[in-house]
Amino acid sequence: MRTLLRFFQKYSDLLLFLLLEIIAITLIVQSSHYQRSRLIDLNRQVTGYIYSKVDGAREYFSLKEVNQRLADENMELRNRLDLISGSLDTATVTRELRGEHHYFFVPSRVVHNSIYKQYNYLTLDKGKKQGVFRDMGVISDGGLVGIVLESSANFATVIPVINRDFRLSAKIKSNNYAGILQWEGDSPLFAVLTEIPFHVTLAEGDTILTSGFSSIFPEGIEVGTIESFSLERGNFYDIRVSLFTDFQRLYHVNVIRNYRQEEQLNLENQNR
Amino acid sequence: MYIITRNIVRFLVVVLFQVLVMDNVMINGYMVPYIYLLFILLMPFETPRWLQLLAGFALGLTMDLFSNTLGMHIAATVLAAFARSYMLDLLAPRDGFEPDSFPRIHYYGFLWFLKYTLVIIFIHHLALFYLEVFQLKEFLSTLFRVILSSMLSASTIVLSQYFVFRK
Repeated sequence: MRTLLRFFQKYSDLLLFLLLEIIAITLIVQSSHYQRSRLIDLNRQVTGYIYSKVDGAREYFSLKEVNQRLADENMELRNRLDLISGSLDTATVTRELRGEHHYFFVPSRVVHNSIYKQYNYLTLDKGKKQGVFRDMGVISDGGLVGIVLESSANFATVIPVINRDFRLSAKIKSNNYAGILQWEGDSPLFAVLTEIPFHVTLAEGDTILTSGFSSIFPEGIEVGTIESFSLERGNFYDIRVSLFTDFQRLYHVNVIRNYRQEEQLNLENQNR
Repeated sequence: MYIITRNIVRFLVVVLFQVLVMDNVMINGYMVPYIYLLFILLMPFETPRWLQLLAGFALGLTMDLFSNTLGMHIAATVLAAFARSYMLDLLAPRDGFEPDSFPRIHYYGFLWFLKYTLVIIFIHHLALFYLEVFQLKEFLSTLFRVILSSMLSASTIVLSQYFVFRK
């Protein structure tokens, strides 16, 4: 007994060290990244608050640039409006106004952003109160950004494309073949499109769009262009996609609310 | 008492500086300066080992909460805190550290501090980056990131000794 006590006394620091490391490793292994970030809702409230306070300063400094981008976007939208206004008839317009439309956008601000990690997350300043719930899509003026992971009253956490857990169905614009878009953790500028079979003809510079299969995103949101492709792993291409969204200066984003998401999911679950 | 308050304040300053400033700094997509270990590095020599470990745990947990990575920073920081006591034994002068002195450039010189910082930072980054990737597939590219980030973190910490955390 005494030797046992002496043993504990002698190695108490080592034992404490091992204990703490075991706690840490358990925390890492036990929960997936997905579940883990759902656990820390309190943390989201606190850190979201701190980040949004500090963000005021950042917002002020980037006002000029943001203005410019908004003006550009306005211009482009106005041009597009001119193009289509001729072909619109009033009947469709009134139907849109009666609330039959499919998607609704919640503009929000990125208050925290990480891009150099393997599992990056964004924090937005809109939450349940503003109608942002989990599994909603997020886009910027450039293109696809990510998917809402979880939201609290006033903040939401987003899994961006540049997170190793991110998966989304995306297609090639020129031939409509759909594959899985994911990220390999190397550079925030590029993602990878997999599961495109080898017989498809590809060209560098082809545009990649969202496929609309998932009910999270409408079809045709721009993702990026093909940077290069290879056939190293057998029957499927590894396509390197240069992303349109510049995650390093992401600031204003839109959360997409799909009014028919629930209906689509219910139907799909019934048939499963 | 004074020393305890000072260390608590340092803990807060280091965490906020890391989260609000350093996490926004990124060079080339590879290198991130992690300066929060400064808190572990600057703890007094007489701190008992168990307290160093628990402080490492608390620091790691705080960083984890801010970066949505439960466990990774804890594991790496506790390891760094554990390594620190051995590193100090190795680096001790022949007749031990002077009483009323701290592990700082001011007391033991630039080279001593650089050696001390580099080794502990390297151990910390090695653990953190490999835990983050959690596979050996990208062994070499991760090692590359570990080495570059270690150098960046260590030089930021050493520089901070001349400007921010001078006392």
